[in-house]
Amino acid sequence: MADKITIRINGNAIKATRGANLLKVLQENGCDIPTLCAHRDLSPGGTCRMCLVELESSGVRSLVTSCNCTVDADVDVFTESEPVIRNRKRLAEMYLGRFPNVPVIRELAARCGVASSRFSSPVTDPNPRACILCGRCVRACKEFVIERILDFAGKGINRHVAMPFNEMDEHCVGCSSCAYVCPTGAIRIVDDLNQPVNPQLIRDHGMKVNAEMATLDKMQNRMREVGTANIVEVMDKYELLPVMNYRFGSHPDTPKIDSKVLKSRYFTQEMADGCWRGCSMACAKAVDNYTLRTGPYKGQKVCVDGPEYETSGGGANMGCFDPDFIVEYNFYCDTYGIDTISFATTMGFVMEAFEAGQITEHHTGGLKLNFGAVDDALEVLHQMARGEGFGVDVGQGIRWLKEKWVREYGADRQFLQDIGMECKGLEVSEYLPKESLAQQAGYGLAIKGPQHDEAWLIFMDMVNNQIPTFEDKAEALYYFPLFRTWFGLMGLCKIIWNDVVPANNKFEKEAAKIPDHVNNYFKYWEGMTGIPLNEESMLLQSARVYNLQRVMSVLLGYGTREYDRMPYRGMGPVTPPEYEWRKDYFDKQLRDILGVDPEGKSTEEKIRILRAHREDQYEKVTDVVYRRRGWTKNGVPKLSRLKELGIDLPEIVAIVRDRQDD
Amino acid sequence: MNQPNSSTAETNQEICRPRDFRGELLICSGSGCTANAADEIRNELARLLTEHNLSNTYRIGMTGCHGFCAAGPIMIVQPEGIFYRKLTIKVLDRIVREHLIEGKPVESLLFKDTVGTIPKREDIPFFSRQVLISQRNKGLIDPESIDSYIGRDGYLAFTRTLRNRQPEEVIQSIIDSGLRGRGGGGFPTGLKWRACRDAVVSSGLSPIVVCNADHGMMQLESDPHSVIEGMLIGAFAVGASEGVIYLRNTYHLARKRLEIALAQAAEKGFLGTRIAQSAMSFTIRIHRGAGAFIGGESSSVVASISGSIPEPQARTIRNAVKGVHGRPTVVNNVETWATVPVIMHKGADWFAAIGTGIRKGEPLSGSSGTKVFSLIGDIAYPGQIEIPLGTSLGDVIARFGGGVPKQIPLKAVQIGGPTGGYIPASRLDLKLDFDSLKAAGTILGSGELIVLSEKKCIADSLKNTIEFLADESCGQCTPCREGLNIARSILRRITEGNATADDLDGLRELGLTMRETSMCQFGVTAANPILTALDSFLPELRAHIDQKRCPARVCKSLIRYEINAERCTGCTMCARACPVSVISGERKKPHRIDSTRCIRCGTCFEVCKFDAVEVK
Ligand SMILES: Cc1cc2nc3c(=O)[nH]c(=O)nc-3n(C[C@H](O)[C@H](O)[C@H](O)COP(=O)(O)O)c2cc1C
Ligand code: SF4
Ligand code: SF4
Ligand code: FES
Repeated sequence: MADKITIRINGNAIKATRGANLLKVLQENGCDIPTLCAHRDLSPGGTCRMCLVELESSGVRSLVTSCNCTVDADVDVFTESEPVIRNRKRLAEMYLGRFPNVPVIRELAARCGVASSRFSSPVTDPNPRACILCGRCVRACKEFVIERILDFAGKGINRHVAMPFNEMDEHCVGCSSCAYVCPTGAIRIVDDLNQPVNPQLIRDHGMKVNAEMATLDKMQNRMREVGTANIVEVMDKYELLPVMNYRFGSHPDTPKIDSKVLKSRYFTQEMADGCWRGCSMACAKAVDNYTLRTGPYKGQKVCVDGPEYETSGGGANMGCFDPDFIVEYNFYCDTYGIDTISFATTMGFVMEAFEAGQITEHHTGGLKLNFGAVDDALEVLHQMARGEGFGVDVGQGIRWLKEKWVREYGADRQFLQDIGMECKGLEVSEYLPKESLAQQAGYGLAIKGPQHDEAWLIFMDMVNNQIPTFEDKAEALYYFPLFRTWFGLMGLCKIIWNDVVPANNKFEKEAAKIPDHVNNYFKYWEGMTGIPLNEESMLLQSARVYNLQRVMSVLLGYGTREYDRMPYRGMGPVTPPEYEWRKDYFDKQLRDILGVDPEGKSTEEKIRILRAHREDQYEKVTDVVYRRRGWTKNGVPKLSRLKELGIDLPEIVAIVRDRQDD
Repeated sequence: MNQPNSSTAETNQEICRPRDFRGELLICSGSGCTANAADEIRNELARLLTEHNLSNTYRIGMTGCHGFCAAGPIMIVQPEGIFYRKLTIKVLDRIVREHLIEGKPVESLLFKDTVGTIPKREDIPFFSRQVLISQRNKGLIDPESIDSYIGRDGYLAFTRTLRNRQPEEVIQSIIDSGLRGRGGGGFPTGLKWRACRDAVVSSGLSPIVVCNADHGMMQLESDPHSVIEGMLIGAFAVGASEGVIYLRNTYHLARKRLEIALAQAAEKGFLGTRIAQSAMSFTIRIHRGAGAFIGGESSSVVASISGSIPEPQARTIRNAVKGVHGRPTVVNNVETWATVPVIMHKGADWFAAIGTGIRKGEPLSGSSGTKVFSLIGDIAYPGQIEIPLGTSLGDVIARFGGGVPKQIPLKAVQIGGPTGGYIPASRLDLKLDFDSLKAAGTILGSGELIVLSEKKCIADSLKNTIEFLADESCGQCTPCREGLNIARSILRRITEGNATADDLDGLRELGLTMRETSMCQFGVTAANPILTALDSFLPELRAHIDQKRCPARVCKSLIRYEINAERCTGCTMCARACPVSVISGERKKPHRIDSTRCIRCGTCFEVCKFDAVEVK
């Protein structure tokens, strides 16, 4: 609850929030305060001194700069008192004496009632685009793109903005943040490497993103600070963290691997990131000077790129709530060229199968692969890389393991099918989709397999309840994969689309789409090509590629309905402990949705009833999505759809022509 | 020992002296004396002792600066405390023969004043009138020997504090003592520590204690352990395990001595973990600072230690709450730290009784204890002195400084360093304490007293001060950056005779806006010299404008050199010395200066033995 206090502005009492910025409070209350170094997207500079006001507290009056002053006590503020006016005038006169032709200075002087200056000096600069030393560019470089390429050099009157050693710094990525915030036009961007049609349009919309990153991320996600690592605790809170092969959604040990631990003990802070230098989000974190415990580089200090959420979540999926383990498997996966998600999900499956007795130490070569077995899990990883022992098998992935274990070890086919979290041969990524039908379909119907790059709808569906009906879900599963495919093709990152969102996004009609950010992307396209873009034309562009991808999938033998089904572990409880874990929740579903009284029924029986219902739901949503996408009931793009998209080329038609039965 | 004024007597006697030597020869190795060849003196003396077979009878020791550099190189012969001044290599032989062998101090090398010869340091008024608290060991111990410091009760205050006192009690003692920061700001030290301790409790972050050694070279050169001990007590009070000394990069000797002192303190277990078998851990590292004037401002210090440019920070949160890397940080001055152990040793009341004391219930006013002042400029004995706060300006100039040399009248004293105001000679009654100085439009600042005789011009002096300040301003904020630059142009015009009456109004307005709106104390106090000069020396400034005349005959553009034909003997001295050869005249006949080509360097004026060159 915000703490309200009363302050008086020029005698009028108003309510303000304790800790609020004084300049903002004054402006909101209609005061005209001259400023130069302040900028709405930057931290206060406090150096031009133009925003002076007088404060009176317990009888003592003092002049303060309002831009870097917080209101935290009942005070009297005077914005037009004699000392304020007098000093403002003199400051304006000093500025005018030095920069007589700069428009913002002339406006400022006029606003302060100064027509001419007595204070010219040998350094008076007649340039109308002179740098007035406000420091906004320096702060923009630091705050927008986390760089310090621009800074001040020289003391006193020789102070000036410079790059190190007054040379063009090769680390400058040309983001143009500095020029964007400069009030005088002193900084001009001269180089547009890719010859865009309208660079200004791109910059204007790029700057909006930079400003949002600098001002909103710290309130919304803290991704600049901890990258994606804080998703661990968020997922745990909403029971969505995959724990021990997706059996559960949270765990008491999660705090051992959350972002607080990573931030305080591991991440190297306050450095630009390796992903893309100049990125104003800079979510890629690194752990410096980590001493490896195992493997070929044991004992050496290394720099680890990560861990990101997926890697930490993978730790939970293996039951390994050990941050050292997570950093170590992160390092070796990177070093060996193995995807952390596939490794973690496969190991989760192996561990569950091991604990369920489907495989034994006899099969694992003596490794005890219970959940949480950090050392043995790392050993599997090293074996995989060395091409030795059990690691060779695990390296083939879940789909292959299931076949082998059923065929050679006599394992239970249905059980392995239910718990082996893969689809189309790809391991599922680290989110628990059990309670979100849209996410199940998001995974299952994704053309490339169950990654969340095409559709991540868990929050929209489950937490925010924005897509309640089948039609809503189908619409989301139509739009989002297309939009995501489109910006992926453009080489644009998703973080600046939907991680940090505009402050007023919640008032948008289709808030889930983040319309303002989608519009940014359209403007980047337009700035590059000169061709305006809207949702319709974007969807058309994307649908061509998307349907082509589906046709390729058909050609490769995975593009039909049977391959779009998820293992049941991804849809509901397979084993009694999973049901028991959220018994009240599942019981309630039986009662409310199915009208079944859970009383007196065994857990197995309840699981069966729930499963029948959920599998049915999944089939239904699949039907609706296929229809919306213009595909047959078997998930094959219809000829009419290909024609509509203008991709009914003979070679393509030949692939799907015989599968048009609907 | 409760009478503050007799403290020198005590300090002079109990010098730490290894028993097996008959005496010690303590050579000053402060920067001033080292520059004057103290090292060579030491080597020669060692040679002579060997030659005369005295190496096992007298030990040579090196001490820090006595603050009396005008008399250097200095040597004290213990145990008698004989004070030799202005030594040269040549005279050492006499000292060894006459004093060390025959037992008769060499009269001609001793200190003399109007009254007569004074053989012992403790009897020289310059020393006997001082009250040495922070500088209790100056010139008396070997700064490179921890034993020497311990021999004079060093680390006793700390070990007792650690054993017998609670952190809260320590803070309360410092508050009760009335100690205010010696770095210039004058903020009550105890309140700063309390704010830090409170911030530690509320934030859970571990605090840092910092010694601001952007100035204070002499203290560190003569007695580095005094600062380390103070920091230990401060660390104990706020619960810090990390200390940083922000040292001006050019202080090479101080750094060397500090490094030695830190290593010795660690070896003796005063630094490190489990200090004196307690749970306390504390380490100190040296952070070298660029050494700009503005780098000494406390938020610059914190910025520098945190890895940024040493510039004042536009922040409203105090260092004590959020300082180095966002952690609660106590920044104190060298002298403040060196004073702390004595307060803990002798008690808050003892300290509060010195100086003008503290005013109950008003922690932000009052000036207890002593302060180190340095006397420079037109003064007979330039040097550093430590005296009770509240001593009058006149006393300091006359009794410690020996007045202006050559009977020239005093014009003004600029108090507190370059950002201090000009106090006119009519205000010799002014008390040197925080509040009186503030009321007089100046600051205690670094404790620098720049003495100006009547031969100095205020316009010229002010111009030079503002030239310096304009270059030293960091340039972040408008009033200080632009104001000083404009003031500099105005002052150049005044001293060149090109100013108008409006310029003085402009100057005053600039000064007021700098004072009222600057971001840091540099800009605020940079107005002091301007405003005090306008207040006290307006006629002199006016003369430069209205009559194009420099009353002190200093401003080159406003003076002419002429040769008085009656006095000139035609010796040709001036003509030969003139760097631009504009003096003509035959031998034994009066000379003439071509004033159109004269560059007014004043060489002729200096070299003429017959006072024939006159300034008009
Ligand atoms: C321009 C400027 C220069 C300063 N230089 C120094 C300095 O060299 N040494 C110092 O201790 N304090 C200096 N100070 C004062 C510090 O800001 C700060 O008040 C002090 O270090 C705090 O210690 P104290 O409370 O013990 O005095 C300076 C202040 C200003 C405004
Ligand atoms: S270049 Fe522009 S933004 Fe940067 S300091 Fe100068 S005026 Fe301000
Ligand atoms: S007052 Fe001067 S030194 Fe201080 S911040 Fe402003 S420009 Fe820098
Ligand atoms: S706007 Fe506040 S100091 Fe510049």
